[in-house]
Amino acid sequence: MKQRTSWLAALAVGLAFTAGCGSASGPGSSTGSGDKLVVWDWKSGDAKAAGYVEKAKADFAKKHPGVTVEFVAQPFDQYYTLLGAAIQAGKGPDVILFNGGGQIRDRADALAPLDSHVGDDKQRLAGWDAFTKDGKVYAEPVTLQGHPIYYNKDLYQKAGLTAPAKTLDEFIGNCGVITQKTGAKCFALGNKEGIGIQFWLSALGSAVLTPQEYDDWIAGKRNWTSPDVKKIFELWQQAGATGLNTDGANSTAMFNDAFASFNSGKAANIIGLMSDVGHWKDFAEFLTPEKVGVTLAPQVNPAAKPSLPYDGGIGYAVAKWTKDPKVAADLVRSLTSTEALKAFYLDGGAIASDTSIDTSAGGPAVKTIVSEVKTGKPALHVALGSKTVDLMGRLSQQLLSGSITVDEVLQQLAASDKTG
Amino acid sequence: MAAQSLSAVDAAVPASTAGVTSARRNRRGSRAERLAPLVLLAPAILIIVGLRLWPLVLGVNFSFTGDGDRNGVAVGLDNYLTLLGDPLFRTALRNVGLLVLLLPVAVAIPGLLATFIYLKVPGHRLYRGVYFFPAVLSPVIVGAIFNLLLAFDGPLNALLGGLGLGPVDWLGDPDVAIFAVVGVHVWATFGMALVVFLAGFATLDSSLLDAAKVDGASLTQTIWHVIIPSLSRTIQFVFVTTMIGMLTSMFGLVYVMTSGGPEGSTYLPEYYVWIQQGQLNQPALASAASTVLFLIMLVVGLAQVAVLRRAGKEE
Repeated sequence: MKQRTSWLAALAVGLAFTAGCGSASGPGSSTGSGDKLVVWDWKSGDAKAAGYVEKAKADFAKKHPGVTVEFVAQPFDQYYTLLGAAIQAGKGPDVILFNGGGQIRDRADALAPLDSHVGDDKQRLAGWDAFTKDGKVYAEPVTLQGHPIYYNKDLYQKAGLTAPAKTLDEFIGNCGVITQKTGAKCFALGNKEGIGIQFWLSALGSAVLTPQEYDDWIAGKRNWTSPDVKKIFELWQQAGATGLNTDGANSTAMFNDAFASFNSGKAANIIGLMSDVGHWKDFAEFLTPEKVGVTLAPQVNPAAKPSLPYDGGIGYAVAKWTKDPKVAADLVRSLTSTEALKAFYLDGGAIASDTSIDTSAGGPAVKTIVSEVKTGKPALHVALGSKTVDLMGRLSQQLLSGSITVDEVLQQLAASDKTG
Repeated sequence: MAAQSLSAVDAAVPASTAGVTSARRNRRGSRAERLAPLVLLAPAILIIVGLRLWPLVLGVNFSFTGDGDRNGVAVGLDNYLTLLGDPLFRTALRNVGLLVLLLPVAVAIPGLLATFIYLKVPGHRLYRGVYFFPAVLSPVIVGAIFNLLLAFDGPLNALLGGLGLGPVDWLGDPDVAIFAVVGVHVWATFGMALVVFLAGFATLDSSLLDAAKVDGASLTQTIWHVIIPSLSRTIQFVFVTTMIGMLTSMFGLVYVMTSGGPEGSTYLPEYYVWIQQGQLNQPALASAASTVLFLIMLVVGLAQVAVLRRAGKEE
């Protein structure tokens, strides 16, 4: 009996939480007094971000000395759950940190457009697309997130090679030599969460799709029956079937087991990130900066033009229900001021959205990344809805295990892309 | 638990008050007598209605509204139809069925080990402590430990390789992963059931065991004809608690060990609810899935209560 009561209680409490979210789905009401702004993020609790937060606060205090700012760091794995509850209730933080792409677009209804406040920053910062929906800007980018292909220079040297080849056939041929001489695999891959395919799609996309196909994809005109799109998924399947990837990809976590494989020299290449984790500064713990290089995707389709895929990584948005959107927008601007972003770059190693920051001391990898940002394009997977991305993760695991064909995958993705 | 003890107190108090007031037998007294139980029960009823039933009703009600553009709009059974059509949710339900099928194994393991400890196999004192140890670890820690052990290049596969067997992708093969997760769950939680079994053994009539020994019964015969019948109530209790544990507390392991993968093969309803609400921003659909999970739990719970009650009558 006691047990029964306790599980009933647990269920009821669980349901109460979900129910609580929905019960107040009406129009938003305002919270907080006018002289206090609450910021939600998952960064400010991190020691690496302390300098950044301090600089941003100081900048804001100069503009609005009477307004206090409170940073509330939420755990990232619960972040969007908690935010969902706040949005349903129509009250909560005034300024909200978001990941670019689907996460912010899905929640744009709860945010105030910033176009009238951020005009001056448009030139200075890069990565706006990921925070734009239907032509309106909802957040200012803080970092840039993208998917450079990193390579271990040591392993290439041991195999008698200087750098990764420019075409895919040669690139894979070189991998064979590296594996033969050093035992290292071609790619370190972690696809336990289904993230591996997102990185693959975006990193190789620009080397397979023609520039026109690429731009159409980003603009929402995605042709899932095009042979070039099919080629990307075929390459994914082939890489798995021909043993280019590290073993057990479907049970290896991208963060951080796959990166650990790369760090420890078990694979010559990895499709990584530019900011947060899994990037040039993370590798530095084991591989010194001179040993890590960045290469553009090896050419697959002669008509394609390989480029660095990147978007706005994280950015601050203003909630619809805040009392004075102007003041909140000023805080967002302070959070993206050059001084603050510089601190973020130096302490956290993130590639900041402010392209005027001097990164010359960061080593060859970061130099290549920053120089490629100018010609880079938005990443392909960021343009997809979160449902389609979720489905793609599961289908990619099936492709690796051989329980589905590429055609079936494309059919399912096309259907999901249409509805969601 | 707290509410149950509360209501127990409430039930006891009016009874004694009633005794006192009925002794006085005057009009004011009889009025107080009528009101007293209501007043005394009010806190418990308010807590149950306000914090349990009302939110439950809201949640169910919310599951009939839409998500995204249709936020707040009544959509009838749309969410439930979406659930039915979602292969992922069907996998989650199938996995619940699998858990029920695996229940006897999860009960037999602690039962058998407890028997060995009771029969004083060499080292039984040590085993008693060691078996219970995993029960104090949190699922996240257990998951992390087994992530390392079951990794493709982990120690278990190295051991298999040493024996000349091919490596198994324990957490990456959709046919294997759910069994790996359930196995780890059983490993992590059987200590509790073991303690319950040992408590049951303490009530066992040792003269029956002696008699069996005198009659020359083998170990299997002793277990089958003496121990199991004597422990039927304990076994039923362990069945109920193990089932509840499997249905309600595997989220942590699934989250840490497989993230619902590979290929969505280790999805459970709880995990599905979490993904829909937290990751895909569909709280109404998550609410519908919660309602379905609630109904499943209700049926399972009532069936188990019925079993327990019947067992109580038999005694």
